[in-house]
Amino acid sequence: MMEKTSLGKIEVSPTAIASLASRAVLESYGVVGMSSGSLGSGLAELLRRDSHKRGIEVRLEGNEIIIDLYVIIEYGTRISAVAHNIMSNVKFSVEKSLGVPVAEVNVHVRGLRVSSED
Amino acid sequence: MVDGKAQKVQEDRPLRKHETGNAILTCDGQGLKRLLGAGTAWLERHTDAINSLNVFPVPDGDTGTNMLLTMQATLEEIANSPEHSVSAIAHTAAHGALMGARGNSGVILSQILRGVARSLDKKGEFNASEFASAMKEATATAYKGVIKPVEGTILTVVREAAEAAVTAAAEEEDLRLVLEKVVNEAQESVAKTPSLLPVLAKAGVVDAGGQGLFIILEGMLRYIRGETVEVDFALETAVDLHLPSEGEYGYDVQFIIQGQDLNLEEIRDTIAAMGESTLVVGDSATIKVHIHTEEPGTPLNYGASIGSLSKITVENMQEQYQEFILSQAQSAVTSEEICDIATVVVAQGPGFARVFESLGASAVVPGGQTMNPSTEELLKAAEDLQTDQVIILPNNSNIILAAQQAQRLSKKNIRIVPTRTIPQGVSALLAFNYQADLDTNAKVMERAAGEVQTVEITIANRSVQLNGVDVKKGEVIGLLNDTLAASGSSPEQVIEEVLRQMKAEKYEIITIYYGEDVTQGEAETLAARISQDYPEQEIELINGGQPHYLYTISAE
Repeated sequence: MMEKTSLGKIEVSPTAIASLASRAVLESYGVVGMSSGSLGSGLAELLRRDSHKRGIEVRLEGNEIIIDLYVIIEYGTRISAVAHNIMSNVKFSVEKSLGVPVAEVNVHVRGLRVSSED
Repeated sequence: MVDGKAQKVQEDRPLRKHETGNAILTCDGQGLKRLLGAGTAWLERHTDAINSLNVFPVPDGDTGTNMLLTMQATLEEIANSPEHSVSAIAHTAAHGALMGARGNSGVILSQILRGVARSLDKKGEFNASEFASAMKEATATAYKGVIKPVEGTILTVVREAAEAAVTAAAEEEDLRLVLEKVVNEAQESVAKTPSLLPVLAKAGVVDAGGQGLFIILEGMLRYIRGETVEVDFALETAVDLHLPSEGEYGYDVQFIIQGQDLNLEEIRDTIAAMGESTLVVGDSATIKVHIHTEEPGTPLNYGASIGSLSKITVENMQEQYQEFILSQAQSAVTSEEICDIATVVVAQGPGFARVFESLGASAVVPGGQTMNPSTEELLKAAEDLQTDQVIILPNNSNIILAAQQAQRLSKKNIRIVPTRTIPQGVSALLAFNYQADLDTNAKVMERAAGEVQTVEITIANRSVQLNGVDVKKGEVIGLLNDTLAASGSSPEQVIEEVLRQMKAEKYEIITIYYGEDVTQGEAETLAARISQDYPEQEIELINGGQPHYLYTISAE
């Protein structure tokens, strides 16, 4: 994502955007884990160093920011409500920090975690 | 009671009387129902005030409304229950909250009720110390649902209120006194939230979710003390235009004043005199005003005299209230209302049923012992839904036929996604998109189902030789995607073999659903073993409760 100002360019990398999104997701109620997204991404997994950004993919299509989240949700919660909440949180946080609109936030529920006493 | 003399005095007296008057020492299921009703009624009166505490402009960010809708869904679920045991009511309430949870705050409320239900499991009634335990359990469950709990929110309030409950219950047996201490602590906790969350301090408000919880608890206290909360428990009667009293007619006025050197305190004091439930927040350049008044012109004129106005809304509150009640009566379904496609899912096992419900299935048809619902049951489930477009997930190859018959008999537009196993059904339902049309959804769901590997473990009921596998009656057999893959003497052995055959290391998530013939301990041991064998994969363990199949495992 790049913005031109009178003094020069401001460029924000997808990794940086992922970091912004990461905090918002982890604070979203109902999320108890993140999961890596694409299947067969063995090599990419090895290269990804930050475990907390695992499960977040940021794509730039033209000027549009598209964020895909791969989450594990607490079993026993209303998943659709949790997913909507994640979308709102991430969109709001990223837009507030970047000052640029986020086109899409997609939530992929990769699994449900059962807490031990159930 | 430590004092021997005091103990003796209590023994002489009849069970529920106390020296100082009519104390309330226990509460049963019907009592809990009324408490929840009272909490909800009190919440309803404060919904707008709570909504105006919202700091984040998120689309479904109306905390007050979300919490109210969640509580109303809870009440609907327990309204008709004649159960006296507090365990039954609590579990039903938790279920209602799960299904009807709206927004972030609604989900947390559902977790709180879930913890309460777990704590009150198998109990007929609760006393003060059991109430305190229930609040502690509620807190634990609520905190478990998030990786990074944020303090200064409803989580903090429930935690501190629970701590107060424990302290109070150690000294008091009267539920009224314990609840009073809880409510006081909740109020203090809410007042402290701006000191924990800077964004609240900046906006000059307390946390909306925390306030909502405090209000619910306060409603319960008012009821238990015999003060009115204007409750209408007959939720069975759909539209009861219970008009709010005490001058809550009038207008809901909101606007923003923009200017220079605005004096927040002075403006707040002036506007507060013009009506009720006033909220005035902001700084010297921008001030947001929210007020309930019978003369909307007055605050507006005042605002216009000190700056320029924007985002003005004036709503007739009585109309608003009636519309709200009517819309609640009309939307009978507790799942997403925006969509016109409904899903009918077959689940063999209570655990699976819950999983599908929480994924947003419109209707779950139980498979039962025979595991196959009849064509009539499927047809009825589809016909009972309000939409004309329905997708059926049979989740078993034997049921596909019945589903097709239901499709032929029904006048509705039904598509069948031919899922042959539960894990395929879960995958398909996860792929469902509310915004896509019927055809696209059917295609996408079918594709998602096809990407799942399913393993089923059961006991052979006859000897056979198939696919190069020798099976003796009574042995454990493993099916991989409906085809016989392995046999052996123990489930662990068979599972190991089948996972090896499918090359489980290629997949990311392995989910193990254990059936009714397996104990939790056995399942956990198995899951731990598989975790060790496949350290790169995520292992999930869920109690499916399914009959016949010891384990159903999915890999994707």
